Amino acid sequence: MARFFNLIDALVAAPAERPFITYWSDEDEHQTVTFGEFGSRSRVQARLLSDHGVAVGSRVVIIMPQGVAAMAVFVGAMMLGAVPAFLAYPNFKIDPSKYRAGLAGVTANLNAQIVVIDDEFPDDMLGHVSLEDGASLLRAGDGRATGREDAVLLPKIAPGELAFIQHSAGTTGLQKGVALTHSAVLNQLEHLAVALKVDESRDSVYSWLPLYHDMGLIACFMLPMVFHMPVVMQSPLDWVIHPETMLQVITEYKCTLAWLPNFAFQFSARRVPQDEFTKYDLSSLRALINCSEPVRGTSMDEFRSAFAAVGFQGAALQSSYAMAENVFAVTQSETGRPSGPMRICADGPRFRKEHVVVPVADGTPGAVSFTSSGCVLPNTRIRIASDSRKQLDVVPVGEILISGECLFTEYFNRPDLTAAAIVDGWYHTGDLGFFLRDELYVIARKKDLLIVAGENLYPQDIEEIVASHPAIHDGRVVATGVYNPDLGTEDIIVAAEVERAAFLSDAEQIERELRNLIVHSMGVAVRTIFLKPPNWIVKSTAGKPARSTTREKLLGEHPELTFKSQETNLL
Amino acid sequence: MTEEMQKMVERIVHLIRKPGLAIDENTPLISSGLIDSMALVDLLLELEKITQMRIPPGKVQPRDMDTVAKMFATAQRVGKPRR
Repeated sequence: MARFFNLIDALVAAPAERPFITYWSDEDEHQTVTFGEFGSRSRVQARLLSDHGVAVGSRVVIIMPQGVAAMAVFVGAMMLGAVPAFLAYPNFKIDPSKYRAGLAGVTANLNAQIVVIDDEFPDDMLGHVSLEDGASLLRAGDGRATGREDAVLLPKIAPGELAFIQHSAGTTGLQKGVALTHSAVLNQLEHLAVALKVDESRDSVYSWLPLYHDMGLIACFMLPMVFHMPVVMQSPLDWVIHPETMLQVITEYKCTLAWLPNFAFQFSARRVPQDEFTKYDLSSLRALINCSEPVRGTSMDEFRSAFAAVGFQGAALQSSYAMAENVFAVTQSETGRPSGPMRICADGPRFRKEHVVVPVADGTPGAVSFTSSGCVLPNTRIRIASDSRKQLDVVPVGEILISGECLFTEYFNRPDLTAAAIVDGWYHTGDLGFFLRDELYVIARKKDLLIVAGENLYPQDIEEIVASHPAIHDGRVVATGVYNPDLGTEDIIVAAEVERAAFLSDAEQIERELRNLIVHSMGVAVRTIFLKPPNWIVKSTAGKPARSTTREKLLGEHPELTFKSQETNLL
Repeated sequence: MTEEMQKMVERIVHLIRKPGLAIDENTPLISSGLIDSMALVDLLLELEKITQMRIPPGKVQPRDMDTVAKMFATAQRVGKPRR
């Protein structure tokens, strides 16, 4: 049973003088607000929203830069019993026309009464924002006290009412609005805090994660708010341009908890300049949690070796399987285990041919290795839906289904998608994995699975091999399948970005090397490898390669990939 | 064109790799499709290097980077001297 009735009660119960959010732009520009100040700014924003007709149940879309003002509008809306949702703020990396199209799609679906933007929002990015009749576009200030914050009457919010909408990962415009109640969010946080052994007197969170993503919103905003911990945050853009600032901030504020997607472990290890290492100290981190993409042991090893020199403790490496539809975490690895998350080796051919996991000794030739995402939180249940027949001593691989008290209510305004996703109380995640000795191992998205001559191949495995080549940009590889009707099976095609455009002149040589690498490690031949210039691969809003959109782009540029069978030619 | 702008132009010509392409400080880059907006991370880092400024990326929009002249004006507007 949750300690609080709703999320607002949790904020009100915080010690007013305790630091809550520090927003860090650079050495000279950072601000900290206490829980008391944050509550007051949220009430100012509630008043402003209320003056614009926002009431219980209204949808409030917030498109503001990462920071305290955006967070106060979010909480201000919840105070009114309204349902806020963060959307990505435009930036110089986002193509304006794509941004406008995405915004139109998402706002139309939410049917929002109000869209809140900041003073500097570029008008040319608004395009067609979809608003209800009588709805409005509002420019919010920073929420500093105006003396009017107590004048608004706040309703009593029941635990079963909607708290907010968070968007599932996906390319902009195709994201689904995941509607969550106060009790689902509070239940999640209670159990997550137990799994992480949260202690508000010593813990603090570091984050560059966007607030429109579940890791940024739940782990790095709601968790600190409900457990009264400080959080130090940066914008994702500041981090990606200067990844060393993450180390600088953790050093300065002695943060203890942080979440990162898998690619960031590798990215940090490769991009942080070593000449400034003496300035950093990561020894305060007690849990650095790999979350939101399939967990790769090799990426975590790279991080551990790169930063052991600056006090990073290997035991801090953790993993979690999380998704917006379950508020956030489904599993969490056991904190404090010196070796980090469990890893196992399995028979490679049996894994690919029979879709089962048969553990084998480390170093067995042809073995595949997996890293655990940890144990299931106590209020969540998992099932593996597998087609393979039951056999003794083997572990079936199948789709991960989840159920429990954190599950989302619905995809907002999309009963069709909700009905397809939740069947008899079980949410079909579309992810493939297996369950071994009480721990969950996540392998890939079901729709990404490649079936080549009866063998199940996971694009991530091929992508990892290709990305290990020095000429290829890490994390910018997509492997996918195209059906070959002449052979009756799928052919593997790979698109990979080279580190520098100049490498394209050696394309033939690099392709030969990549083919050899893939054949030697996986025993399969790829049909075609397309080397592409930097920035060619399409990325999702979370910064990961968007596999299906990249696939469409590839097929668009190379129509010869779409086979015509002989039968088709006869028609 | 200043010496610094010239450096930036050279960097962009290198990035585009189109033989015979001539650009100057007023050539539209993004709106004309010469470079895509994803390449701008590299250009922003280059701009920081050339100007010796720190440029908060959150204060930069695509239109602020459309020409070399606009890039330098943006650095002037939002950049801070490096410590």
